[in-house]
Amino acid sequence: MDPSLLEPSTGYIYPNEYFLQWELLIVLYPYITGLVAGAFILASLERVFKVKALWPVYRLALLSALAFMIVAPLPLLAHLGHPERSLEMFLTPHTTSAMAMFGFVYAWYLLVVLLLEVWFDYRREIVIWSQESKAPWRYVYKALTLGATDISDAAIKFDDRAGRLITIIGIPSAFLLHGYVGFIFGSVKANPWWSSVLMPVVFLFSAIVSGMAIVMLIYMVTSWIRWKPIDMACLNKLGEFLLYALIVDFSLELLDFIHRLYESEESIHILSQLITDRLFISLVILQVLMGALIPIFGLVAARFGRLPDEMRRMIYFLVGILIQVGIFSMRWNVVVGGQMFSKSLRGLTVYKVHLFGLEGLLFTIGLLLLPVVILYVLVKLLPPWIDGQEDGALAAQPH
Amino acid sequence: MKTGRIPQQVVVLSVIAVVVVAGFFGMRALFVPESFGKYGHYRADSVDAIRKLPIQYGGAKACAECHDEVAATKSQGFHRGVSCEVCHGPAAAHIEDPGTIKPTAPRQRELCPLCHNYSPSRPTGFPQILTAQHNPGKPCMSCHKPHDPVPPNAPKECSACHRGIWSQKLVSPHASLECSTCHEVPKEHSVDPRGFVVSKPTGNQACERCHSNAALAASAIPQVTSEHTARYLCWDCHYPHFPEGKK
Repeated sequence: MDPSLLEPSTGYIYPNEYFLQWELLIVLYPYITGLVAGAFILASLERVFKVKALWPVYRLALLSALAFMIVAPLPLLAHLGHPERSLEMFLTPHTTSAMAMFGFVYAWYLLVVLLLEVWFDYRREIVIWSQESKAPWRYVYKALTLGATDISDAAIKFDDRAGRLITIIGIPSAFLLHGYVGFIFGSVKANPWWSSVLMPVVFLFSAIVSGMAIVMLIYMVTSWIRWKPIDMACLNKLGEFLLYALIVDFSLELLDFIHRLYESEESIHILSQLITDRLFISLVILQVLMGALIPIFGLVAARFGRLPDEMRRMIYFLVGILIQVGIFSMRWNVVVGGQMFSKSLRGLTVYKVHLFGLEGLLFTIGLLLLPVVILYVLVKLLPPWIDGQEDGALAAQPH
Repeated sequence: MKTGRIPQQVVVLSVIAVVVVAGFFGMRALFVPESFGKYGHYRADSVDAIRKLPIQYGGAKACAECHDEVAATKSQGFHRGVSCEVCHGPAAAHIEDPGTIKPTAPRQRELCPLCHNYSPSRPTGFPQILTAQHNPGKPCMSCHKPHDPVPPNAPKECSACHRGIWSQKLVSPHASLECSTCHEVPKEHSVDPRGFVVSKPTGNQACERCHSNAALAASAIPQVTSEHTARYLCWDCHYPHFPEGKK
């Protein structure tokens, strides 16, 4: 039976507001793009700002960003249907549509920033592997060299300079990538839950938080799987930056909240009802309490407290997971929350996640697992490990 | 391994960039239709292409020329705004050749629920059923005449047509109230809903019968002073079918 019969909407809502148009896949999309932007900005901390302690996760962060980037458009394509038509967006660019222009932001970020940076960073190793590996890997690496086999000192120096330049270009690009996602929501002026100039900034900082946390998790899990010790200096530094980003992110969200409360526009009543009724668990409990406050205390304790390393690792790991839950909830609260109240400001509708189908839970979980598979392949192809090696040393021979 | 003074990497990347850019313009030349953008962000020739498509529908006027009796009946009934071909399908070919090409006539249960199955987004008062519960398996035509649809028996419950409001009220603090507590319902409303409309409260008195602090009512019922309602109508803030808007 129609769920709305069992659990009716409350108050008055317009006929076209009973069913949500943007469901779980649209929640997933800003979550994944956020991970890309965050992971890349983490990588740039090492590269541009020379935070040497983060060297062990630099390449892992780059590959993670690439893996998530490849999956980022899939929720949108699945939601819209007819993925083959997406290419038309590039052939006939619609310059006044922010959504259409995003195709170019995505292409720029994937092709010019991420792929180029990975290529320049790995080029020396790729050339060596293309000479030393056995077939068929040898041919894969040969193709990856793109014909540029010069690994003289001058060429490597050029690679390094080019990589740094790309990272510098990449930082505003990453900001643009995720700022855009917030911009899309923030510019819907008819929706008081979304319409806020702070939206792009909040999205950006939440992206940085989620990206750093996911790289921290990936670093810890891969170290455990490989039976290698975790570099605690790196993990502590990562935790420190994560804490700063989280504090900024939480403050911005709080500022947005206080501003809305103080401004107290006509929508404030329905929005407060939305928070206390429909979004209580996902916003107050998951996003604010478990996704921000507990991680902040956890990170302060783990980074600045006098704790044994084992305990720190455990806290970092739990904090990483909590942050993922919190940021996913934040995307949920924005996307779903914004469609749950009527534009009449008099009523709330209901939303139940389906299990099957394109917008269903199982498909979403599948899409969430896909970057892990892609990352596995990337890591096999381009090992990012630098166990016990100095900056710039050759990574382990893969094949 | 340098090509002049330009690093090898720059050379290969430049070649790739040129290929990509050339590919982009090549694809544009190949795939973007010539008339694209003439009028707007679409293919202008599509207007002509659509115009050339064969006409499928004949229009209700053409139907009425031969089927005048049915048209006369339908023009008096609730389906007067529904064109014949909505149910019978496109009939231009039938008009050209009435003898051999016959339009379809839906006689099972599939078609009617497209409009009459319950959906909260349909306007209130529009007759809606829960198809699974409403005489399961029986063709709609066995009780309702499609050209002059009236219920075989006058509906006894308001929920027959006002299900959306009914299901909201059912889980609200007003669940125990009859609709007639606030609305005056003419007897004929159930058979001629547009001819005999129900009344709606026009002032706060309807609510004040229970919710004024001067009213004799159970202590559990929220009561307010006359100051609370002095400048507003109650339903400016409270939706009567779901007064506090909470589950």
